[in-house]
Amino acid sequence: MKYDFLDPKALTRLGSIPLEAREAMTGNVAGRHRSPHRGSSVEFAEYRKYVQGDDTRRLDWKAYARSDRYYIKEFEADTNLRAYFVLDASGSMGFSAANDSRIQFARKLAATLSYLIVDQGDAAGLYVCQEKNHIEIPPSRRAAHLNHIFEVLSNTEPVGETGLIDALHAIAEKTSQRALVIILSDLFCDTNALADALQHLRYRKHDIAVFHMLDKQEIEFNFERPHRFVDMEDNTSVVAEPALIAEDYHKAIHDFMQTVQTKCNDVHADYHLITTDQDYEKIIHNFLITRLPKKGKK
Amino acid sequence: MIVSFLQQSFLWGLLAVSIPVIVHLLNRRRHRTVQWAAMDFLLKATRESRGRKKLKYIIILTSRALAIAALIFAISRPLLGGFLGWGGAEIDTVILILDRSASMEQLVEGGDKSKRLGAIASVQKSLESLNSRRLILIDSASAIPQNVPSPDALDELSSTSPTDTRASIPSLISTAIDFISENSPGRTEIWVASDLQKSDWAPDQGSWDAIRTGLNDLPQKTTLRVLSMASPIEDNIAISILSSARSNDELVLNLKLTRSDAEGPLSIPITFSVNGTRTADQVTLIGQTYQFQKRLPLGNKEGSGYGFASIPADTNPRDNVSFFAYGDDAPTKTFLVSEGGESATWLTLASVPTGFGRGQCIELMPNKAHEIDWQGAALVIWQAPLPTGPVAQQFSRYIEEGGAAMMLPLRGESDTTFLGMQWGEQSISPQGQYFIVEEWNQNDGPLRNGMEGTTIPLPKLKAIRRKSIVGEATTLASWDDDTPFLVRRIIGDGTAIFITTLPDYSWSNLGDADVLLPTTQRMIKLGDSRFGSAFAAITGSPKSKISSGEIRSRLDTHARSVSSNAPYEAGVWKLGERLLATNRPASEDEWLVLEPNKMESLLEGTHYKLFEDTGNTDSLAREIWQALLIAMLIFLAVEAALCLQPKIKNKKS
Repeated sequence: MKYDFLDPKALTRLGSIPLEAREAMTGNVAGRHRSPHRGSSVEFAEYRKYVQGDDTRRLDWKAYARSDRYYIKEFEADTNLRAYFVLDASGSMGFSAANDSRIQFARKLAATLSYLIVDQGDAAGLYVCQEKNHIEIPPSRRAAHLNHIFEVLSNTEPVGETGLIDALHAIAEKTSQRALVIILSDLFCDTNALADALQHLRYRKHDIAVFHMLDKQEIEFNFERPHRFVDMEDNTSVVAEPALIAEDYHKAIHDFMQTVQTKCNDVHADYHLITTDQDYEKIIHNFLITRLPKKGKK
Repeated sequence: MIVSFLQQSFLWGLLAVSIPVIVHLLNRRRHRTVQWAAMDFLLKATRESRGRKKLKYIIILTSRALAIAALIFAISRPLLGGFLGWGGAEIDTVILILDRSASMEQLVEGGDKSKRLGAIASVQKSLESLNSRRLILIDSASAIPQNVPSPDALDELSSTSPTDTRASIPSLISTAIDFISENSPGRTEIWVASDLQKSDWAPDQGSWDAIRTGLNDLPQKTTLRVLSMASPIEDNIAISILSSARSNDELVLNLKLTRSDAEGPLSIPITFSVNGTRTADQVTLIGQTYQFQKRLPLGNKEGSGYGFASIPADTNPRDNVSFFAYGDDAPTKTFLVSEGGESATWLTLASVPTGFGRGQCIELMPNKAHEIDWQGAALVIWQAPLPTGPVAQQFSRYIEEGGAAMMLPLRGESDTTFLGMQWGEQSISPQGQYFIVEEWNQNDGPLRNGMEGTTIPLPKLKAIRRKSIVGEATTLASWDDDTPFLVRRIIGDGTAIFITTLPDYSWSNLGDADVLLPTTQRMIKLGDSRFGSAFAAITGSPKSKISSGEIRSRLDTHARSVSSNAPYEAGVWKLGERLLATNRPASEDEWLVLEPNKMESLLEGTHYKLFEDTGNTDSLAREIWQALLIAMLIFLAVEAALCLQPKIKNKKS
């Protein structure tokens, strides 16, 4: 395989599980996902009274025979899904303690999921956000489009400060059709600004999924001796005695994780806290499974 | 509280205390550099950790350092106790100067042990801690250095037993310095165990300069440690017999009672023993001191006798008795060496007033002065050119041995010098004016007030002629222009006074101004006391010691003496043919204590340490290494608790 973030065996194993949208999608072609519009699928939606101008072909004559009233029988409209992968490519995404770097882990998630999406006939797009440079690949259902996504993923290197908030606002503004927005980031940004951006997406009726990516080292902070910590985004540094600050650090990062999760829950985002030492295939598997509709409910 | 160490060299190990700090600093310098993403949380944690956490880390470091310090201190074998102090452990020889004066028998407050025994016990314990170093004892009574084989034997030696002597601390320290200089006993310390009685320490004595120099000039640094037993004296009363003399069929005793607490009148029973016959009397003591006279009938007993006066037991048993002895009643002899004239008449009358006593005045011309019976004279009145040659030598010796001399100016001029004194120029008062005495010492000297406070009527004295006196002497009375009227020189045991005018109508009204008579009689009494003192001596003085061929035996029944300590005990003794009552010196009843700042000035520039023993401690020093090991364990436990706490929290999180 040309790209080291794609595993064909994993793709094969995951291929049997469809990616479902949790909200009604607005696609441009027919597909397997619910649409907010009434359509011609086999899935019954509701009866409504005939009003002048309705297509008489949609009158339910059997209902008319029973009740002498004109009813229009409506069916769900199925459409395709448009997924946006928002990849945070700030300097902090390059962090790696012992496993894959955060950006590499994000590449695996984005590439695998986009493959699966396109493979099931939906459209996948990519939005790489950095402080000063955003790369946008609009969603497309074409298989050849995947190569474009993979190429951009492959060439993206983490650098500078994050541009995630601006990117989310931009997507919310630009994307008029309902879409699935999948965020891949460490979310090291102002949590209030993040909440605003998520609210913005939610207001536009987008289905939001968040992969909050942290490193195990960042959570545990188990250093033995003094270290000089260099900021990966602006290169400032501080010498610290881990034993001295560990307790306060743990408190700060757990508060942060708690806050982010709360903010995501507030906008009904599909929040997943993951660490880069985990198996990405298992993460995707869980992601797909949890999104499947419950029995008896579409 | 001061700590000293038996293994001082291990204290170099204290440098290891810096190891935790050095390791900490090295760790900080040898930090690793890591790229870090979650910087905001790190900075926030760093900010919040500055106060409490930094303190915690400092406590951890301090605990480590203290644990090491405690270990080092423990293996250095510390001694707790202020007396030894720093450097007290590494010594080869200890020279112990033990004050065993009468005042050291004062019981320590709240205890049944005297200050002397308390000091011995404390010194024994300290010496035990020093692992049996060589001990040299210089006791205050004998002042002879002696080797003590073991500190345990200290309280069994006769040379540490109680005495009725005084202690001359300066001369004892000088003896110790001489011993060190002559014997080179290695690293030596001088320990002085004393109650710091001011009279014993004689802070005004000139020898302290030599002591300071001597201590500093010793080949090795020698520390002088003073174990102060100067606890306050309470509930103590002292009795002393000032003089005893036979007067016809009576024994006249002048006694003095002194008490430590002057709180209201106190009735004291006194037991008198005269030649084995005991009588009792009751005296009410008002104020701190009380002097009184007691006449005891002697009956028909001829010749000499002896006895004692005692009071009930109190906190110092050594000052509850005073001994006396007396001889035959004999007339006092006054020798008047005079140029003759009116002044000679007045002086004769003043020395042998009609109808008073059994005195005798022998008048001699200056060229017959060699005929003076120096041995029998109570007073020598000299109104002539100051003596020179053999007469001057005999006169000086007479005074040194306790004689009294009254010197008056000659009418003419003379440049001779006697006792460092010389008559100066003669001066005459302006017409119609007189020289008048305005100020005089009313507490001391022949012009002092009487026992009932009556003053000598010196203002009645009017002089028109006087002669100045040149030389170093104490002025006891001054003319109104501040020139001396009467000066005093004390030579040895005797006294000489110089009066600067004459009892002559062409000089002054000294003769009939009620000044000459009391002055002369007091001087006679002073000089006569040396005859009474033929039967009295201060314990430990040369007079109280036996001469060759004499054998000492105790006559009184108040107490028994061990022969080796007898020369230093008060009592009535038969020394060969001599009858002698020995008593503690009067200075032992002066309970003034040398102030620490005064001691500081006396020993300034020397290595000296002062430790006050309250009498409640069993030892001046005790080993405390066990406590330090416990302290080390506590420090390690604190360190462990502070270090482990965050890790436990991590696991929980």
